Amino acid sequence: MSLIEAKSISRNVATTAGELQILSTLSVAIEAGEAVAIVGASGSGKSTLLSLLAGLDLPSTGEIYIDNVKLNDLDEEQRAILRGEKIGFIFQSFLLIQSLTALENVMLPAELAGTKKPEEQARELLAKVGLGERLTHYPNQLSGGEQQRVAIARAFIGKPQILFADEPTGNLDSKTGARVEELLFELNREFGTTLIMVTHDEKLAQRCDRILRIEDGRILEQAHVA
Amino acid sequence: MWHKISWRLLKHELRRGELTIMAAALVLAVCAVLSLSMFSERLQAGLMERSAEFLAADRILRSRGGEIPTEWLQRAEEEGVASARRITFNSMAFANGDMALVDVKAVTDGYPLRGHLEIAEEPFTQGVFAEGLPAPGETWVQGSLFQQLGLSLGDELEVGDMTFVVTQVLSHEPDSGFSVFTDSPTVLIHNDDLAATGLIQPGSRVNYNYLFAGEPQALQRFESWLRPQLDPVTQRWQNIQDGDSPLSAALTRAEQFMLLASLLGVVLAATAVAVAAQRYAQRNYDAVAVMKTLGGRTGLIARIFSLHLLLLTAASVALGVLLGMLLQAVVSWYVSAQLGYDLPAAGNGPYLLAIGTGLLCAVMFSLYPLLRLMKVPPLRVLRRELTASGLSRWIHWGLAGGTVFLLMVIYSGSVILSFALFIGGILAMLILLGVSRLFIRASRQAGMQAGSSWRLAMAGMQRRSRENSLQMLSFSVAVMLFLLVLALRHELLDDWRGQLPDDAPNYFVVNVASHQVEPMQAMFERESIRATQLYPIIPGRLIAINGTPVRDEVTKEERDDSEYREGFGRELQLTWQRDLPAENTLREDRWFEPGEAGVSVESQVAERINIGLGDELSFRVGGNEFTVPVTNIRDVDWNTMQPNFFMIFSPELIGEMPATYIASFYLSPDRRPELYQLFRDFPQASLIDVEDILQQVRDVINHVSLAITFVMVLVIAAGGLVLIAQVQASLEERQQELVILRTLGAKSKLLTQAVSYEFIVLGALAGLIATLAMEVSIYVLQTQVFNMPATLHWRFWVLGPLLGAGVVALLGWSVCWRMLRQSTGQLIRKLS
Repeated sequence: MSLIEAKSISRNVATTAGELQILSTLSVAIEAGEAVAIVGASGSGKSTLLSLLAGLDLPSTGEIYIDNVKLNDLDEEQRAILRGEKIGFIFQSFLLIQSLTALENVMLPAELAGTKKPEEQARELLAKVGLGERLTHYPNQLSGGEQQRVAIARAFIGKPQILFADEPTGNLDSKTGARVEELLFELNREFGTTLIMVTHDEKLAQRCDRILRIEDGRILEQAHVA
Repeated sequence: MWHKISWRLLKHELRRGELTIMAAALVLAVCAVLSLSMFSERLQAGLMERSAEFLAADRILRSRGGEIPTEWLQRAEEEGVASARRITFNSMAFANGDMALVDVKAVTDGYPLRGHLEIAEEPFTQGVFAEGLPAPGETWVQGSLFQQLGLSLGDELEVGDMTFVVTQVLSHEPDSGFSVFTDSPTVLIHNDDLAATGLIQPGSRVNYNYLFAGEPQALQRFESWLRPQLDPVTQRWQNIQDGDSPLSAALTRAEQFMLLASLLGVVLAATAVAVAAQRYAQRNYDAVAVMKTLGGRTGLIARIFSLHLLLLTAASVALGVLLGMLLQAVVSWYVSAQLGYDLPAAGNGPYLLAIGTGLLCAVMFSLYPLLRLMKVPPLRVLRRELTASGLSRWIHWGLAGGTVFLLMVIYSGSVILSFALFIGGILAMLILLGVSRLFIRASRQAGMQAGSSWRLAMAGMQRRSRENSLQMLSFSVAVMLFLLVLALRHELLDDWRGQLPDDAPNYFVVNVASHQVEPMQAMFERESIRATQLYPIIPGRLIAINGTPVRDEVTKEERDDSEYREGFGRELQLTWQRDLPAENTLREDRWFEPGEAGVSVESQVAERINIGLGDELSFRVGGNEFTVPVTNIRDVDWNTMQPNFFMIFSPELIGEMPATYIASFYLSPDRRPELYQLFRDFPQASLIDVEDILQQVRDVINHVSLAITFVMVLVIAAGGLVLIAQVQASLEERQQELVILRTLGAKSKLLTQAVSYEFIVLGALAGLIATLAMEVSIYVLQTQVFNMPATLHWRFWVLGPLLGAGVVALLGWSVCWRMLRQSTGQLIRKLS
């Protein structure tokens, strides 16, 4: 079985105009070590797919498995534990905790998981992303690119099997975006992580092994990048 | 591990000042409650101690049936309670070939158990503390007897079969009491000389008073042993807490009022806590969503944030206690200096109350925002519009309402009163909320006609109408409380001070013979002494009402009481007047017509013995009995230091009967040594010094005024905090608007003006509503609680809106100015 497997999943939401289907009977399988880009227009359902695959939400119908664990059978708490053990995240708006320093932000997932003395590891990671000198800075004292680099370090601290990235360069200028992109793939290779990334950026998508193109809640095409 | 995260979050939030409002509100509530309750407890205890001095003991057993069994006194000794005996009776005393009615007081060693005797070499001069009692064969007598019998120190005074040597002027007895009509000068002798006077015979009217003093617990034990054995007819156990002092009752009422007022301050502070906690929770929605996404379990995250708030609460409460103690110490020091004696220490009660209030406010008012925070879904990391869901607002209202009600019960000590206040409060809030919305809608329409910055301001107000009407509600309550306390302080104190001006009469002169009335009036005039008129006094008894006899004396004999009406049970001091005395107001009907025979009755007495206009009252005066109709009912202000009467007759009835006269007058303390000379020509007249009592009343008024000022400061501070918390809570939304408006090209002057106008209008409206609410509250308080005439406060109709506009604009602006000064770029970055 693949590392991540979604079988005939759909996601409906209730709106004032009636039930709206965001994803319709979609199936996908992602292998360990693969890098997959999910692309599509705004509102096509790519972020919803990401949220379902990461266990942040549950599908209306269908089943999702991560590492042979059926997410549908887990409650919110159990899914949180699973995320803590296996998954890392990077977001378009960075989502660092404003009250914590760069170092503390990176340590946070390890501390939540109860890891002893995560500081050393966090320092190393921050040095790796080029922020070894800015450990005690708070997010509002860092530029957008620096904040995203902190987020990348945070994503890798738990040595996750899977990394979900939602438009990781979407809020950055092209030069900074390119640096962040480089860093992301470099660490991904180093840690042997499975990468699932939502992006608008075709160039960025092309760096992945496979591209899932989504339109109106359906997978339009699955293209393997040569 | 989680506690480290918690501590880190707290540290940074504190540094950034995000939790300042919440901490400040808690510190304020704890500090205010502690200092206020501690201060009033100490004050109360101080007055108790002083009252004990007025009794010369902590407890008194009064016995009209002779001596009490010696085993009772032994029991007191076993319990560690000190005792002394005081026997008093009236007798004639003879000296220099003259005689006078005196009050003989024979006391045992140890007397007085509380307070002290003062003695002097000259009558009516300042005395010094006396050590011990008169030696056997000696006596100390009051100054007025020197005056009546022309005594000098060393003279002999015959009392019964015994001749005493007068060795001191007795210038102060702690238990002299205050009874204008029955006072004869005291002759103090030692108990060992009592038998030799031969005056204690079977059937003589003698009061046996046993004084007790000791630690409260020992007294309590002795009291519970003794009480069941007392004879209810002839023996009376007197306790200073039995409400003997009208001052202590007044103080208790004032204290209750103050605690309730401070509770309103606490509720305001709690509102600030709730608003700040909500904003705090909202600001952490992202953090919680991120933690959940990164694998944090809800229980763990709940622990992180609970500890966070707990640490904040503990630190705030501790700081509040510290500041409260400090403040209280300063106030007590000031008061002690004013009073001239140290206040006793307070117990643990105030600490429990303050800490309990702080914890309750912190926990109960931040629980709902905290619960909501835990409900934030992890999906918020992708869908930013998601917030907490699935938690009813009713939980919030239930928690907040329950806490306020609980505090009310604790503070007022009465469930019924709390319930009435609570329901009244909710109704008032709903009405205020409705009025606020109405005002906001109306101002929106008015604003549309005005210039662009006004239009923008009114549009902003309208857009946030729900938040704004809540905001306006708390502004209104804050401003109202402030105005209320200001107005009450002004009126209550003026009223009290007006009754007891510095030159209120401090002496009474009684037993003035009728032929001395004119010489005495002439003396007052000659010496520029401000005195009341001399009122005639004729002793008499009320014997029947509408032909039904009244119950008169307490008797041991059994009799059928059903055919008797309630009366006074004692002799009354009657007077007659042609005109209604000043300080009296007619409640019903009219004053006597010339030539009419009638009686005017004091209103409280009329209520107590159930008589009204036209009732026929029968009196026995001297040997005569006569019946008169009640012509009118009078209200008497008993707080004035004037001779006041239950019954005033028209001159026709008793004007010709033999009478003695009474007046009160003011003599400044520095003229006190002149008293002896001034009254030398009036040997029968007795002087009664009420300066001590006046001083006690003034003390209480000063304390109350200080405490009211204190409550006022608390209310202002709490109101200010609510305001800042609420403006801060709306800050993020305002920032968004500002960015949009700036991007669309709005000039910063226009934006600044719009923000200022919004606050000015909000404040002015809040002030207006507050004034309205204050008038209603004051009307109710004046007519229902303080029995004062209702008044309107026109000044406040100007002051209220101005104050509201000024304060709200200033505070609102101070919170927003930083935002207004930021560039659009900075704002956009902050928002993203």
